[in-house]
Amino acid sequence: MLIQVENLTHIYNQGTPFERVALREVNLEIEAGERIGILGPTGSGKSTLVQHLAGLLKPTAGRVLLEGTPIHSKGATARKLRLQVGLAFQYPEDQIFEQTVFREVAFGPRNLGLDEAEVAARVNWALEMVGLDPVAVAQRMPFTLSGGEMRRVALASILAMRPRVLILDEPTAGQDPQGRRALLDKVGAWQRETNMTLIVVSHALEDLARLVERVIALREGRVVADGPTRQVLSDVKLLRAIGLDVPQPVALLQALRQAGKEVRVDRFLPAEAASEIARVWGLRGSVT
Amino acid sequence: MSALPIGMYVPGNSILHRLDPRVKMGATLVLMMIPFAVHGLWGYVALSTFVVTAVLLSGVPLGALLRTLRTVFWIAFLMFFLYLFTTPGEPLLALGSIAITRQGLLAAVAQIYRLCLLVTVASLLTFTTSPIHLTHGLEAMLSPLERARLPVRELAMVLTIALRFVPTLQEEIDKIAKAQRARGADFRTGGPLRRARNLVPIFVPIFVSAFRRADELATAMDARGFRSALHRTRMRKLRLGSLDLLATLIVMGLVLTVIWLG
Repeated sequence: MLIQVENLTHIYNQGTPFERVALREVNLEIEAGERIGILGPTGSGKSTLVQHLAGLLKPTAGRVLLEGTPIHSKGATARKLRLQVGLAFQYPEDQIFEQTVFREVAFGPRNLGLDEAEVAARVNWALEMVGLDPVAVAQRMPFTLSGGEMRRVALASILAMRPRVLILDEPTAGQDPQGRRALLDKVGAWQRETNMTLIVVSHALEDLARLVERVIALREGRVVADGPTRQVLSDVKLLRAIGLDVPQPVALLQALRQAGKEVRVDRFLPAEAASEIARVWGLRGSVT
Repeated sequence: MSALPIGMYVPGNSILHRLDPRVKMGATLVLMMIPFAVHGLWGYVALSTFVVTAVLLSGVPLGALLRTLRTVFWIAFLMFFLYLFTTPGEPLLALGSIAITRQGLLAAVAQIYRLCLLVTVASLLTFTTSPIHLTHGLEAMLSPLERARLPVRELAMVLTIALRFVPTLQEEIDKIAKAQRARGADFRTGGPLRRARNLVPIFVPIFVSAFRRADELATAMDARGFRSALHRTRMRKLRLGSLDLLATLIVMGLVLTVIWLG
């Protein structure tokens, strides 16, 4: 067991008029190498949960264990553990501060205490992983890059730490559809190459569908569903109850079923749904 | 958001919340000055009773007030020893060439008391007055200076905007600090110089975003036809009520009592 969340409760501004409960008695278990999506409407506690997984918040009650050790405790051991979890916040480009792309990406590896040769190797590797040419961008000022490039630099600065767990909070927020797809494909490739545990927060179901194998749904600080992607994303009742749109292919199949067609509804990719419809209508061939 | 920001408005409906901001600001000014007119024990008793009553009436969580007071702890600490060792008079305890005097001890305690009172009164104002009311009050109180060509309304506008962005900036600092901590930044160890240097990864992004926000806000204001020279009307005009009159009389009563007690 890599990560265990036990009875985690988080209350912001406890004891003040601004008190707000963000997480209520959350229990989770995450295995090494899993690809997990965290789903939920705004204010459901997604961001709070992932900050706890990275040991950045102190639980009001309960605890988060990484390989059996409480991740938020004081001391060098817990700090080392925390550095094995990489967290990219929403709009990670906001955290850029260095004068060159190289130094920005090297910030994390240097904090790990690596020697300069290793730091340089990691910077080059990370920049290549996000699809930037190290030779072309390493000495440029980050603020002269485009928004999409800045986001990739910020993500590279986290990848360069070689985290065992990579958490992305709304990685595609504010990007155009093509940029989204390209970025998500890259994230999938990183996961395959490094076999790290991947946790992606999103309220865009289409983002999660391709990338993750397990979905955890939150609502008002509680886990309301936790299961295989196919199962959670085709659970129309659940998705509507937590206030999220049903993936369009699923909605279409659902409508066909209500019209009396014997279709399966757990086909959330457009091509899958098309094959299912072709099958039911007895059309030959399949759509790929 | 981590802890409740210092001096932030705490919404409520207490008597203090309902007072006119001008009355509250006037009273705050007076209350910040009279501790210096107090010399005897009874004066302090009267003043303390008043302030404690005001705190209780305000319904402000005591924890929040204590957190505010904690921010002046080091200043108070320093002041205490400064007064303790440098006031000449009848010695109580001698340590080589320096001596603690009776007068020194009294002066030190009095200074700490005044400082705490000052902070308490000032934070009562910000705890019970929304930023909007605060600036309306300030604008009203400064309006006589408009004759002297002081751009009072513009200043009030600038202040409103600044106050409005305090919580936003605080949240942003919190977020960036966390992001950098996740990248192994350490803000808690090392000497003062090192710690100051470690803040660069927080402050550069904050400045960048503050300038961007300012730019966006200016564009938005411009797009909605904001002109600074116009005379603006208000949806809610400030009006003094019987509660305000009563409060003014009570504060005046307090001032007279304190001066009379000496």
